[in-house]
Amino acid sequence: MSGLGEADRLLRERGISEHFGAFVAAAAWTRDGSVCACALGDGTLALADAAGFRRVAAHDGAALALAPDLGPAGFLSGGDDGRFLAVAATGEITEIARFGLKWVEHVASHAGGCRAAAVGKKLHLFDQTGRAQKQLDHPSAVTGLAFDAKGKRVAAAHYNGVSLWFVASKSDNPRRLEWKGSHIALAWSPDNDAVVTAMQENALHGWRLGSGEHMRMSGYPAKTQSLSFSRGGKFLATSGAETVVLWPFTGGGPTGKPPVELAGGDGVLCTRVACHPEHDAVAAGFADGLVVLADISSERILPVAAPGRGAVSALAWSADGANLVFGTETGFAARVDFTKR
Amino acid sequence: MAETQQVPVTVLTGYLGAGKTTLLNRILTENHGKRYAVVVNEFGELGVDNDLVVDTDEEVFEMNNGCICCTVRGDLIRILGGLMKRRDKFDGILIETTGLADPAPVAQTFFVDELVREKTRLDAIVTVVDAKNLAARLADSPEASEQIAFADVIVLNKMDLVSDAEAAALEERIRKINRFARIHRATRAGVAIADLLDQGAFDLSRVLERQPDFLEDDSHSHNEDVASMSFAAEHPIDPEKFNAWISALLAAQGQDILRTKGILHYAGEARRFAFQAVHMMADGDFIGPWPAGAKPASKLVFIGRNLNRPQLRRGFLACQVEPAAA
Repeated sequence: MSGLGEADRLLRERGISEHFGAFVAAAAWTRDGSVCACALGDGTLALADAAGFRRVAAHDGAALALAPDLGPAGFLSGGDDGRFLAVAATGEITEIARFGLKWVEHVASHAGGCRAAAVGKKLHLFDQTGRAQKQLDHPSAVTGLAFDAKGKRVAAAHYNGVSLWFVASKSDNPRRLEWKGSHIALAWSPDNDAVVTAMQENALHGWRLGSGEHMRMSGYPAKTQSLSFSRGGKFLATSGAETVVLWPFTGGGPTGKPPVELAGGDGVLCTRVACHPEHDAVAAGFADGLVVLADISSERILPVAAPGRGAVSALAWSADGANLVFGTETGFAARVDFTKR
Repeated sequence: MAETQQVPVTVLTGYLGAGKTTLLNRILTENHGKRYAVVVNEFGELGVDNDLVVDTDEEVFEMNNGCICCTVRGDLIRILGGLMKRRDKFDGILIETTGLADPAPVAQTFFVDELVREKTRLDAIVTVVDAKNLAARLADSPEASEQIAFADVIVLNKMDLVSDAEAAALEERIRKINRFARIHRATRAGVAIADLLDQGAFDLSRVLERQPDFLEDDSHSHNEDVASMSFAAEHPIDPEKFNAWISALLAAQGQDILRTKGILHYAGEARRFAFQAVHMMADGDFIGPWPAGAKPASKLVFIGRNLNRPQLRRGFLACQVEPAAA
């Protein structure tokens, strides 16, 4: 009892939380780090500033995707009602586009001025005014989306690989990174040289863009749903095992190097990871609801929230690393303050 | 306990024009008090009258697991995952496939993906066939026999367009292809909902619950592309021998063997062992004891192409603890 109570100390003393009773599909922060949002399965967004949560009706159906918008104080949201929305931190909603019966499954933006929404096989790009810029076609549905650090290129995962598009290019010929199979999530390294995908077969695949070299990382008991590069790109943190699996991306890794494994021992699958934006630390959520913060070099584990509130399904740091938001499949959501006091 | 929370999924297959969408709308408008999420393909013939309709492209891919026939529907994995985010909004899921679809990737999706298995269960594959055009379809397209072969329930539709004698002949042809499907004759897809939904066709505890027709089809007169064969073994089965035999058989011929179902009497075991497979994807477990008064006996049914009856029989009988004299 006291152990579990202790595991909840951070949440109790530094967190605000609420039970919304709807699946938390995604979580994100505004770029200025002031407000976080959880996208819920009932179509609402739960926005939280330091004072508390409030609900905003956004989608007629489920909210599926959420990301920071390109400005300092807003979000992008996609839903199974086919709507792609800009949601201000104040809760004000602007519809950017509407795609009928198709789901808006992935959204992303770059502060440099580009917004992206993946709808079926198409990737739609919009500018800051909401004007459609491009429609990029893929051989199958887009299953993951990421801009490079400079916002020059956008990567889209799909069957048999990844397409890299230059956002400003006139020709729209993608560079195709090929690997047979179904790729279901994607991450781009901070130095822009590595693109890594999670695959249906409980493994990761990666490409070095400079050398064209392939990388394979396997051994997971379950599918990896969440991938996150550490601050300087030294590690790639992943879910899908009963520990937080971190692949070293330095010194010739990850090929031929064993991963670092943190926060194991409970026999429970890790479901979400989010690397800290300032330090070599990773927040991780598990299938039993446990949330921890792990320091990668010392391997010290700091509990954030005790198990028991549903499998963790969303996790995100504010850009300054001061605040964490997480949510669960049963609809619990919390914002936790990590600033020095 | 967890099983009762799994959302049942019914798959509707059938050729273009057979009456799939009519059947779908019939299920949706019937007064059953249940809500369904409906997954339709982009080539759907008619409108579907429902609150929650998902439009999808059928995206089949091959698993990188060394098994060439292990194809699954990636779009369904995504859609079922997405629907689970609002699962309090419906009681079941109906999936309509395109007319030319091979049902195997849909069925295999439920064997392969852990999250799909955890949150949903494939209840049954329902195939609608057009009584008037079935013979022509069987002659000109392999998908037609595959859709019958994979079916747990077959709606023999447009009965108003054929005579009783023609209908009987059609049923016989369907039986040659698939001996454990339930056939319902219908006009304008008029079938009782209870005959379509909650069939538990992929529930191991109900495998071969209904006796397949054990007609010996030694007459090869029809020479169907796809056929079904049933075998019975009198003596108890040695689990190790059976596993070795069935694994090797499905690995070698799993592309041709579409479905396998069996109830086995393992030596020294009071419970029945149930077995099923879709191509090479197999699943098996112990289910309850033999019914009181019934003599334990093992049964195995194959549906597929190029099935070699003597070879299959010999192989199965050799799994017995005391093999019957050849």
